[in-house]
Amino acid sequence: MEITQLILTNFKNYEKESFQFSSQINCLVGRNGMGKTNLLDAIYYLCMGKSYFVPNDRYLSLHGTDFFRIEGHFDREEKREKIVAKVIPKKKKELERNGVPYAKLSEHIGFLPVVIIIPDDTLLATEGSEARRRFLDNTISQLDPLYLKHLIQYQKVLRQRNAALKQMGESGRFQESLLEVYDLQLQMPGLYISEKREAFVEEFNPILAQVYRTISGGAETASCSYRSPLQKEPDLMELLRKHRDKDRILHRTTTGLHRDDLVFNLDEFPLKRFASQGQLKSFILSLKLAQYELIKKNKNQRPLLLLDDIFDKLDHHRVDHLLALLLDGDFGQVFITDTDQKRVSQMIESRDSSYREFLITKGKATAL
Amino acid sequence: MKTTTLSRSGYKFANMNFSSKLLENAVDAFASLPGIGRKTALRLVLHLVQQAPETSEEFADAIVKLRKNIKNCQVCHNLSDEPVCEICSNNRRDKSVLCVVEGIRDVMAIEETQQFRGLYHVLGGIISPIEGIGPNDLHIDSLIGRVQTGEVKELIMAISPTIEGDTTIFYISKKLRDLDLPVQLSTIARGVSFGGELEYADGLTLGRSIVSRIPYRKDE
Repeated sequence: MEITQLILTNFKNYEKESFQFSSQINCLVGRNGMGKTNLLDAIYYLCMGKSYFVPNDRYLSLHGTDFFRIEGHFDREEKREKIVAKVIPKKKKELERNGVPYAKLSEHIGFLPVVIIIPDDTLLATEGSEARRRFLDNTISQLDPLYLKHLIQYQKVLRQRNAALKQMGESGRFQESLLEVYDLQLQMPGLYISEKREAFVEEFNPILAQVYRTISGGAETASCSYRSPLQKEPDLMELLRKHRDKDRILHRTTTGLHRDDLVFNLDEFPLKRFASQGQLKSFILSLKLAQYELIKKNKNQRPLLLLDDIFDKLDHHRVDHLLALLLDGDFGQVFITDTDQKRVSQMIESRDSSYREFLITKGKATAL
Repeated sequence: MKTTTLSRSGYKFANMNFSSKLLENAVDAFASLPGIGRKTALRLVLHLVQQAPETSEEFADAIVKLRKNIKNCQVCHNLSDEPVCEICSNNRRDKSVLCVVEGIRDVMAIEETQQFRGLYHVLGGIISPIEGIGPNDLHIDSLIGRVQTGEVKELIMAISPTIEGDTTIFYISKKLRDLDLPVQLSTIARGVSFGGELEYADGLTLGRSIVSRIPYRKDE
């Protein structure tokens, strides 16, 4: 699967710009703040129906304008697909495929698989569990549309349950039977989500270990383990019942799948506490590339690979090693941003991959 | 609210300028109704001005009488002229079956089909704490009361198949179970619509329709 053409209107710092991409390697060079990352984000948006960086669509339109449009032409399983995202104020955002709007954005997820790697990904290891759940959900959703449906349902019921707890706290009238109803409604999607997360980690670990060894050249085994409140009490309704008093006092749902986590390990040591900066970086990069491998294997399709500034703060030796890995690996279409104009092109020219280079300056692109 | 639109005669007006305060008040009143913008309000008002004065009097009279005299049926909470509505007081209707709905419009829609000869119970909404609606804001207690009389054998839950709708159905069924009331609970069938084509049905609906398929009968 690949994107052949991209047309941006009022997206971030692009007023009106179109791009023709190479089916293999596309290199976006330019100084900081010129719009390289925005271009990656536009491609990500067409695949996932939202920005990877900015949760609120309102902040994605060009300064001084209030709407944006992203149009992409894809080659997918020998068919051309035209995907358009339109965000117009006071209207629901629209995502259309070949001119037909999707009734639900979630129906599009997984159609164009994508993996994005950015320097801030190291936050996955150091920050709270929410980022790691997002990584889990993002990956499984691209593989299993039913997972996303159950996840949306679980979150909707959870929001109602939390609102009910808050109201009960304000009114002082505790309605146990209403909470029991919500527990029942969490059960069905909850069990599905939990099973899928567990199965994912099991399938993911051998791939992760292998990718890590290739990248770091080290002997350690990288792995992640799934942590869920359900491991102590496998019956979700029983688990919720046990926490009912706590919920009642804190006015929110204190247990459930929204408290799941992934723990990253090198051999049997938690990454968070014991890893060096280099190990941390290698681990996170492996995590993302393993995500790529897993999606590729399950969908029998190569996801788009978007690499944002991944050479940042790496020494020359590591950059060469990483680039060689990317160029020689079995990847499909790849997008790389770099502040160094020469670095990537020299590496690529020494092989004979098909590539195209764009110089990005202030929302304008020049093909080099 | 400022509107910049081309009127039918082709000139642009940014804001309505009224030559008459009376006209402006009437337009404001109509525009306060749901689904009516200021341009439509103006058209309606101008229409009334062009009619005989009695037309407006009758019109206003109908609204005032409606608001003064309309009641909620004491039994089913549907709108009614009398303390008990025409459906509830109709002796030819089957009192052993209750159709439980969210609102008055649902009663009208089901009556329109002429397929149901039982009675109704209007809940007045569905449970949605996010919108500030809890079980006590709905007519659930009076529903339980009706079931407790022993006359009702079946409750048909004709409620939207949403998460909030499911919450409401679960909640009512739980209440009935806790009180050990022997009443049969059913929900309206969910699936592919009549005249609908399979390829356009959404995945969830189609999936459910396959799982809860029904035996084929030639006479249907």
